[in-house]
Amino acid sequence: MSTDGHEEGEIAVAADRLLVPLSDTVTVRQTVGYAVRSGLEDAGELAIHLVVALPHEASLPESRQRTAEAEELLSKAENWVQEDAGSASVTIKTTLLGTDEYLFGPRDFAETFNDYAQEHDIDLIVLDPEYQPGSTAQILQSVELELDAVGLAYDEAPVERPARHQRLVGDVSERFDRLFAMFWISYGFYLVLGDPTYWFDLVTGAAVAGIVSLSLAHVTFTFPLDRVQSPIRAIRFGLYIPYLIWEIVKANIAVSAVILRPSMPIEPTMTRINTRVRGGLPLLALANSITLTPGTLTVRADDQRLIVHTLIPSARDDLFDGGLERAIRFVFYGRESAAIPTPRERGDTEIIGGDDQ
Amino acid sequence: MIETIRFWVIVVLLGLGVFFTFVSTVGVIRLPDIYARAHTASQTDTLGAGFALAGVAVAFGWQHAAVYTVLLLFFVFITNPTAAHAIARSAAESGIEPWTNDSDEDGDSQ
Amino acid sequence: MIPSGITIEEVFLGAGTLFVVLAIMVFYRAVAGPTTQDRLLAVNVLGTNTVVILALLAAGLDQSWFLDVALIYALLNFLMAIAISKFTVERGGVL
Repeated sequence: MSTDGHEEGEIAVAADRLLVPLSDTVTVRQTVGYAVRSGLEDAGELAIHLVVALPHEASLPESRQRTAEAEELLSKAENWVQEDAGSASVTIKTTLLGTDEYLFGPRDFAETFNDYAQEHDIDLIVLDPEYQPGSTAQILQSVELELDAVGLAYDEAPVERPARHQRLVGDVSERFDRLFAMFWISYGFYLVLGDPTYWFDLVTGAAVAGIVSLSLAHVTFTFPLDRVQSPIRAIRFGLYIPYLIWEIVKANIAVSAVILRPSMPIEPTMTRINTRVRGGLPLLALANSITLTPGTLTVRADDQRLIVHTLIPSARDDLFDGGLERAIRFVFYGRESAAIPTPRERGDTEIIGGDDQ
Repeated sequence: MIETIRFWVIVVLLGLGVFFTFVSTVGVIRLPDIYARAHTASQTDTLGAGFALAGVAVAFGWQHAAVYTVLLLFFVFITNPTAAHAIARSAAESGIEPWTNDSDEDGDSQ
Repeated sequence: MIPSGITIEEVFLGAGTLFVVLAIMVFYRAVAGPTTQDRLLAVNVLGTNTVVILALLAAGLDQSWFLDVALIYALLNFLMAIAISKFTVERGGVL
């Protein structure tokens, strides 16, 4: 293609320093290819900065493996760039971002990219449409929105998307797992409401559960189920409930004592707490547990940053000691992940007074 | 004998349920702002409903109806904090300032 | 010792009466406000109270099918919670 051809083609990028954030998606290969092609289209020489942003702090037990995976991804991507560039002169720079700081949400990612872009005089970011920082956990808001917010130019790579398709359908065993889990959950619920010994309920229940699982299984489970982990998590969740009830009873008594006293010595404060719990379901469980415990109330939940309103000092201390957080980490990540410093010791707590911004 | 124990267990459970719901009601009426009221509203959802439904479960004994009460409690536990959070969040987004002890804007209590 | 003259059903009905009184007290907050969120919160507490009252009636009148009604009511509360969440997050775009 000629150097002037960019006006009619899809490739409308005029840049010679590109930033490509990578994550382990099915479209990452195509994104890298697009970045190289579009970069070489306009300029004779090209500098490609490949970065992987790590969502976890390096000191946490599970993130050592993440770091290794990220380095592997970087070296793979470097090979891809060299493959695609052929004889053209391409400078490659690979970087791991977020090793020394803790990135919470899309905004932090966008800001990190922005800092990097300014430091290295980047012209354009080429973004993978499937970009997910952190290979397993889903981010609640899109990075694109936040990139817009920090005012950074980005270009979404026009990729074929097997991934979008795959997310709905999944491969056969994943699909089966979801149907299986959904069928037994709905069948169990039906029989609890009905009579498990009456044949009519057994038959209609199976029919209803079949319809429900076929129509709703892919809506209910937006994450892949793990055949070993999911039942273990359910059991650990069962262990968590007595602990939660004990916490609730303690907090109820403390709050009742305050409310019934005629002087009502409440000290409401807004606090911000950065939790080490990622993703939809664990965060939901933690935020709901915090709200369920009287004395603490989750006002905002942006990824891992919870804004919690506390009514009395003792509830605030309990929150900062992070008992519930550790219990949730135990439920979703196992026993060894539960032994982390309290939010107070990590410096992840902040009292922001009456204003939540 | 069993009947006597059961009677008193039910009375105690219902009494505790009424007590915590009473505290919660007093809180909802007395406390100064929406955020503080949301705290005490969760007392009704947890121990108030919890003790009362436990009393019902004991009365029905080991039969089908007792499973219903456990399910009921489960739904209350799952849904009400979600609603409380939604309400608090919408309050925060519509710019309602939390009440503080000094009642002025210098809210850093540390 | 069960006190004479009091049956377990009467205990349930008495507790149910107290819950009704408390629900009426909460209703004050639903009427007085001052903000929409205060009213919503009060209605939410009233919903929980209603579920408990229905369960107490089921035991007091020995009509276990009242529990079905309570369960449906709890599920409706859940729908209300979802609707409120959607409403606050998406600014009016309910479902």
